[in-house]
Amino acid sequence: MNILEIEHCRKQFDGKEVLHDISLTVSEGQVVSIIGPSGSGKSTLLRCATLLETMDGGSLKYLGKSAVRDEGGRAVYASNAELHQLRSCFGLVFQNFNLFPHYTVLKNITEAPMLIQKRDKAEVYATARDLLSRMGLSDREDAYPYQLSGGQQQRVSIARALAMKPKMLFFDEPTSALDPELTGEILKVIRGLAAEHMTMVIVTHEMAFARDVSDHVIFMDGGVIVEQGNPTDIINNPTHERTIQFLSRFN
Amino acid sequence: MKKLLAAILVMMFALIACAGAEGTVFRMGIDAEYPPYSYMGDDGSYTGYDVEMCAKVCEILGWTQEVVPINWDTKLIQLDAEEMDCIWSGLTIDVIDPEAYTISMAYSDNSQMILTKKGSGIEKLDDVSGKRVGVQLGTSADILLSDGGDAAEFGASFGELVRYENYNIAFTELMAGAIDALAIDIGVANGKIAEYGEDYYCVAEPFAAEKYGICFRKADAEMCKQVEDAFMQLVEDGTYVSLAEKYGLDTANLCLAK
Amino acid sequence: MTLTAMIVKMSEGLGRTCAIFFLTLLFSLPLGLLVALMRMSKNRVVSAITSACISILRGTPLMLQLIAVAYGPFYLFGYTLLVKEKLLAIIIAFSLNYAAYFAEIYRGGIESMPVGQYEAAHVLGYSKGQTFMRIILPQVVKRILPSVTNEVITLVKDTSMAFTLAYMEMFSIGKQIANSQSSFLPFVIAGVFYYLMNSIVAFAMSRCEKALSYYR
Repeated sequence: MNILEIEHCRKQFDGKEVLHDISLTVSEGQVVSIIGPSGSGKSTLLRCATLLETMDGGSLKYLGKSAVRDEGGRAVYASNAELHQLRSCFGLVFQNFNLFPHYTVLKNITEAPMLIQKRDKAEVYATARDLLSRMGLSDREDAYPYQLSGGQQQRVSIARALAMKPKMLFFDEPTSALDPELTGEILKVIRGLAAEHMTMVIVTHEMAFARDVSDHVIFMDGGVIVEQGNPTDIINNPTHERTIQFLSRFN
Repeated sequence: MKKLLAAILVMMFALIACAGAEGTVFRMGIDAEYPPYSYMGDDGSYTGYDVEMCAKVCEILGWTQEVVPINWDTKLIQLDAEEMDCIWSGLTIDVIDPEAYTISMAYSDNSQMILTKKGSGIEKLDDVSGKRVGVQLGTSADILLSDGGDAAEFGASFGELVRYENYNIAFTELMAGAIDALAIDIGVANGKIAEYGEDYYCVAEPFAAEKYGICFRKADAEMCKQVEDAFMQLVEDGTYVSLAEKYGLDTANLCLAK
Repeated sequence: MTLTAMIVKMSEGLGRTCAIFFLTLLFSLPLGLLVALMRMSKNRVVSAITSACISILRGTPLMLQLIAVAYGPFYLFGYTLLVKEKLLAIIIAFSLNYAAYFAEIYRGGIESMPVGQYEAAHVLGYSKGQTFMRIILPQVVKRILPSVTNEVITLVKDTSMAFTLAYMEMFSIGKQIANSQSSFLPFVIAGVFYYLMNSIVAFAMSRCEKALSYYR
């Protein structure tokens, strides 16, 4: 079953087209990595998919339900109520974590499930504590974000996204804001999620990680998908000129 | 609930009726910073020559006196807005437009004097030329000396006319030597001299003579007449002069006693 | 008049001074938030009108605004309520004036919030109202507290402006005593009163800052 379907997505900023006709399908349990140089449009694609940015043309579906449909090349969004429903299908982990600094770790994770999804408090707390123990943060539930390291904050933000019980998770360069020695702990968590067949789309600069964890790799440049396919093929034996050039910088 | 409401309504009407039964309340507007005419007394209540004269007038007329301290800068606005029934506080009537307001008879001459300190070398009005002279903003002395006033020419002869928020500050500046003299009403001047003693004196000749009176709204000519009649009774029985003496006013200025 | 008598007399006005102070805060703080939101409105007309009002309120003296509120309606429409109820006129003028200043402080605080906070809440499904009330506003309050403290201290001193409408608050009474007694002592007493009030304000605000210092 397809969790996410994007077709012919187009996006302009100030008349400059940053996404040209991008299509992307993610099926249940699939892990897709998007790589490419900065300014290639990969983050914009993620922001369009998570409804933080509006696309100009194309369509977007979650679980077969339409969030954006294409009407003669123009993107038409569903009603706010429908979008609100669809938003619970996915979670997003930001590059800069974006935890709420005035909330404790536990409240960061539990408020939205109780407030937005109206779930039972005891169940939400149990879920949150379970997630924290999986993240190795059981003893930090009463800490405030500023008291945590970057890696710990990012793990809390992953727990926050997971507490909403999403069908899929997006990661927007989840290790880019971290010191190099802290990236490992985050990559380990994501690997763990992949092992549990969590559906994920990951924008990343960690090539080895993308190769190891993904089922599918997409290389973007200049707002188009230049090359995509099996991770080992793309990363070890790229065929396209631009892919070769980009990857050579990482070796 | 309805009973309670009815009871409250009855009480309110009773209160209004009581207030009405007490008779006319006469609200006099005063500058509470203008001794000896109107100021806050030692006991914290308002007093002064004008306040006490008004109390006597109200006694005669059977009115209840209410003293309303006002902002002298906005006195006519406040009168228009019916915050009080009159302005009675050493008010120079010469500057009030008789077309727009009802003005009582003058009850006192208000000579405008030059008050100075010993050693200033000021003996006559001509000596003030080129000197720094202080005045309270908006008083008749200020209006007279400013452009368009009756003594504007005299004012123009000063080195500088310095305007203060009140005479208390102006007098302090005179004591400190920041200014050479004050242009001031004779009543206020005599009050200051009485308080601070022999180092201070007034130039004998006034630079202008104004008159004090009471200002009412245009529509209140009847009220003005009543106050004037009662006031004349106080002139007849000597209260007019005896109160002036009590407050240290120069009885030579009491124009109605002549 | 003895020193004690002066203090007693001026204390009578202190109640009125406090009434101006507390009522102004009570109305201007929420009003300022509303004005800030209108100022940041996407509706250009609302934003422009609000912006013009803020500019006038901040660009003219409070003294003029007091006179305009009390006597403007009277001269224009013969409306006398604000002339008779001095405190009401004073509270309206003060609240509008301070709301304008608070609005700009709120706006600065709101605009300084990182966009990531809005986006995180948005993705989690918070509505705009929930985002503002639960995520943004609590953090804004912490950020703007020092600027608000400054304004509140200014407000304590500004209460003396009520003299413009001949409202007998503490400083007006002090000036009357000063003139009748030819004494500067009432000004000293007034200074002590204001200083004490502001010490209490500073203490209260530092307690607030401390209470909000549990996070960064």
